[in-house]
Amino acid sequence: MSQVLHPIEKKIINALKETEKLNIEELEQKTDLSSDQVRRGIEWLKLKGLADVIESQETKHKLSSAGDEVLKSGLPERKLVNLLKEGPKSFDEAKQSLSESDFHAAIANAKRNDWIQIEKDDSTTKISLKVQDPPLSAEEKVLQEINQGTFDQNALYHDKNQHEKLVGYFRLKKLGIIEEIVKKSKTISLTEKAKDIDTSEKGLAEIDVEAAIPATFVARAHPLKEVINEIREIFTSLGFTEVLGNFTQPSFWNFDALFTPQDHPAREMQDTFYIKDFVANKVASLAQIKQVSKSHKLGWRYNWNIEEAKKMVLRTHTTCVTIKYLADQKPDEARIFSLGRVFRNEKVSYKHLAEFNQVEGIVVGKDVTLRDLMGLQQEFYRKMGLSKVKFWPTFFPYTEPSLQSMVYNERLGKWVELFGMGIFRPEVTKPLGITKPVLAWGGGIERIAMLKYGLDDVREFYNNNLGWLRTAIQCQ
Amino acid sequence: MPVVTLYFDRLQRLVGKTSKEKIISALPFLGLDIEEQTDQYIRVEYSPNRPDYATDFGIAAGLQGLLGIKKGLVKLDVKRGPYQLKADQSVRKVRPYVTAIIAKNGNLDDETIRQLITLQEDLHFGIGRNRKKSSIGIHDLDKIEFPIRYTTVTKDHRFVPLGSETEGTISDILQNTEAGLQYGKLLENAEAVPIILDAKGNTISFPPIINSALTTVSSSTKNLLVEVTATDKNTAEDTLSVVATTLQNAGFLLTSVQISGAGNTTPSLKTKKMSLGVELANKILGLKLSSSIISTALKKCRLDALPKRNNISCTIPRFRFDILGPMDLIEEVALGYGIENLKPTLPQSSAVGQKNIVTKQLDLLSKIMVGLGFTEALNSSLVSKNIQYGMTNRDSFGFLQVVESKSQEHTILRDMLLPSMLDTLSRNVHEQYPQKLFEIGTIFSADDPIKEEISLCCISAHKDANYSEIKSILQSTLKTGFNIECETKTSTHFCFAKGKTADVIANNSKIGAIGEIDSAIVENFKLRMPVVAFEIKLSGLIFN
Repeated sequence: MSQVLHPIEKKIINALKETEKLNIEELEQKTDLSSDQVRRGIEWLKLKGLADVIESQETKHKLSSAGDEVLKSGLPERKLVNLLKEGPKSFDEAKQSLSESDFHAAIANAKRNDWIQIEKDDSTTKISLKVQDPPLSAEEKVLQEINQGTFDQNALYHDKNQHEKLVGYFRLKKLGIIEEIVKKSKTISLTEKAKDIDTSEKGLAEIDVEAAIPATFVARAHPLKEVINEIREIFTSLGFTEVLGNFTQPSFWNFDALFTPQDHPAREMQDTFYIKDFVANKVASLAQIKQVSKSHKLGWRYNWNIEEAKKMVLRTHTTCVTIKYLADQKPDEARIFSLGRVFRNEKVSYKHLAEFNQVEGIVVGKDVTLRDLMGLQQEFYRKMGLSKVKFWPTFFPYTEPSLQSMVYNERLGKWVELFGMGIFRPEVTKPLGITKPVLAWGGGIERIAMLKYGLDDVREFYNNNLGWLRTAIQCQ
Repeated sequence: MPVVTLYFDRLQRLVGKTSKEKIISALPFLGLDIEEQTDQYIRVEYSPNRPDYATDFGIAAGLQGLLGIKKGLVKLDVKRGPYQLKADQSVRKVRPYVTAIIAKNGNLDDETIRQLITLQEDLHFGIGRNRKKSSIGIHDLDKIEFPIRYTTVTKDHRFVPLGSETEGTISDILQNTEAGLQYGKLLENAEAVPIILDAKGNTISFPPIINSALTTVSSSTKNLLVEVTATDKNTAEDTLSVVATTLQNAGFLLTSVQISGAGNTTPSLKTKKMSLGVELANKILGLKLSSSIISTALKKCRLDALPKRNNISCTIPRFRFDILGPMDLIEEVALGYGIENLKPTLPQSSAVGQKNIVTKQLDLLSKIMVGLGFTEALNSSLVSKNIQYGMTNRDSFGFLQVVESKSQEHTILRDMLLPSMLDTLSRNVHEQYPQKLFEIGTIFSADDPIKEEISLCCISAHKDANYSEIKSILQSTLKTGFNIECETKTSTHFCFAKGKTADVIANNSKIGAIGEIDSAIVENFKLRMPVVAFEIKLSGLIFN
């Protein structure tokens, strides 16, 4: 009969032709294959009906470290017997010589073994030996046999006279004095079919071209990075230039410059990560500080405090980067974008991360409109492969008017909220000397990436589960 | 963001002739996000700038406008009443401002009471800044003898607080009640605390902590006193205006309370006038609407609008204090005109976009690493102290920590990438080897005030992993991508094994370290393979 075999399989078959039954270790030695290769080969042969595998299990016993101790110094009841050989003792005397826990076990077990008698008179309780030299108890016999390696548990089950020894064995096991070691082994033999196979050199030249093979994984960029790169490409293709900024920012640019009052709930530690014991020395130009302070006093009617603005935070959005760029450059016309990590003090869940990526696009121009903002949005989604888009009103503290975009997801069969957008409020732009309308939009990237990879748990992006990193495929 | 439950039967009754379907499809266009929907009710999330949407009365008024059932502003009709509230000078130190209004002849069913409580809580949390800036008390008017007084008392003052049956002192309430423990800190250990007393000396309220049991509102209450105390006068009136408007929408008749003393005055709750340029509105929205269409749109948002040549004279009710200027009015125009009627346009641009130079260099680096057979990992910048320091057997000092993180896994800013990469390997021991990974990420160090640099970490784990392999990867990466020669000089490092560690030197300065991971650390991370790695700083090397 002709059968195409892997070299591993052939080696195993040859070994089994020489010796009818072998276990895995023996096969390793005979074939000079690794343990993994032998196991794999056996699985293949089994599937092809060429090898039989008989699994067996053997239980061995050994003394635990507590057991070694007992072997040396004896069980509590034996200790008691040795003590009583000096003569009868009172409870108190016995307790003193043995430990408290040993004492109770010793009395109970010695009584059960019928080694001692206990007599009470008015004041004391006396213990004395019934037999001068008590023979080995069932437990002690088991202990010795285990130590000498002659213990046979199966024999105990089959012999009624050994019942007491069996009980002793269980007692020792419960006390943690002896341990069971279960050893599983596999015995492999060839089936009749296999015996006819030609494993000569000629046969070895052929390979099983149809067999399953181990997977090869291509090295690749992180799946989330692939989405980020795609977004960057889209922005640049729409004429946007990238600006970068630090993750750590003074509150001034993260909040104050965006007209967020200093007592606003979003600025509290429950929502924003503040960096312990660090404040910025210089947050902005004097003119910028003065104007922002004035805008807060006027708009929110409170005394603005520079110290609050100096506190360092992990940026809660990329807007701190774009607003600083606009305040410093004051362009009359611009298309810029900023992309990167942002932070929120959130409990991490399938929906929320404490650290995620955001992108934000900005258009400055004297004639730009809300409809333009919607159009740019729609074009962005179209390039991302998302074609069904609609807009709803919403609220953002630093834009007016504000909208949110809803994108239809085929897999979920529903509308999903994606990027928010709006035109920067005059309370934000005016104090910073920005005179032309500023369109802004943006949002979390992981949300889009989740749609693309069909994920329901956002944490998957940061678990670095190699199985997923090596095989993730975009589905939308 | 806050969520409100709307029962369809109530809402339909309040809105007037319209279908349930029309209501459901109109809600998002008021800026309300639908969270949950059943046959009986719908739950929507509303924005913090519209506290009047905390009840179905407010939402019904909005829907009436949008659906064209009723347009224009709802006037607050406040009758002048004989009621008086006087503030003592002593309140100036603790909580200076008070304002109030009376609402009569209304019907309070359980659902209305529940909604009023939600409104009150939302106002407390939002513009009240957790009761610090303003807080509200709603009372049964018929239990109160006028004139009433806003004053201060010492902490041995006794009364029966809301929800209790026995009298207690202010100190008891501060120490033993939930409200006392939660909001007591707002009084900042003042000796004398604010209190509202009626003509008979009965306690009505202990702001901003708790009302008195005496004036508890129930479904049989017909007449209400609403009082607001605050640290800012304007906020007090903002708050009152929302409650007063809601109560009028709920069928109550409003009557004024004369307020005097310590700089306090009777609230006017009057409308605000604002002018909107037709040209500006069209310019921002990208439309060419006539002044009358714009006026109609504003009226659908329950404002009053009168076209006057190129301007529209707008009247804004007191409770719309979110409208600060023309841009806010333009948003109202967009809403009234219908967002669905705004057709997106794509503005042309001659600008050529480009990526940042840093991004470009990092993209190139990433491609080279992938080409060398390394897969990219991403870890958080905020890491756990245990992984960053404990597991790498390193002294922990000088690290940057965030305040009150909600997660133990994210408490300090990483100063190197390698520990997270080791953790990544340790969570993947069951996956096929060799495992070759890299990460490009930001690392942080304390400077003036904080320095951020970008680092590359590259790690390889398999049964034959060795120093030569990883050194070859390092040199090849820098040479191929950036034409940088680097050398390795014998050194020591807490992550790497003695005798198998080197500093990485390029352009005569140290840029990082390379070596075989120390066996004790391999053990800490329960890795079963030899691991080699390097980490180098890219800032100042491949970009500035």
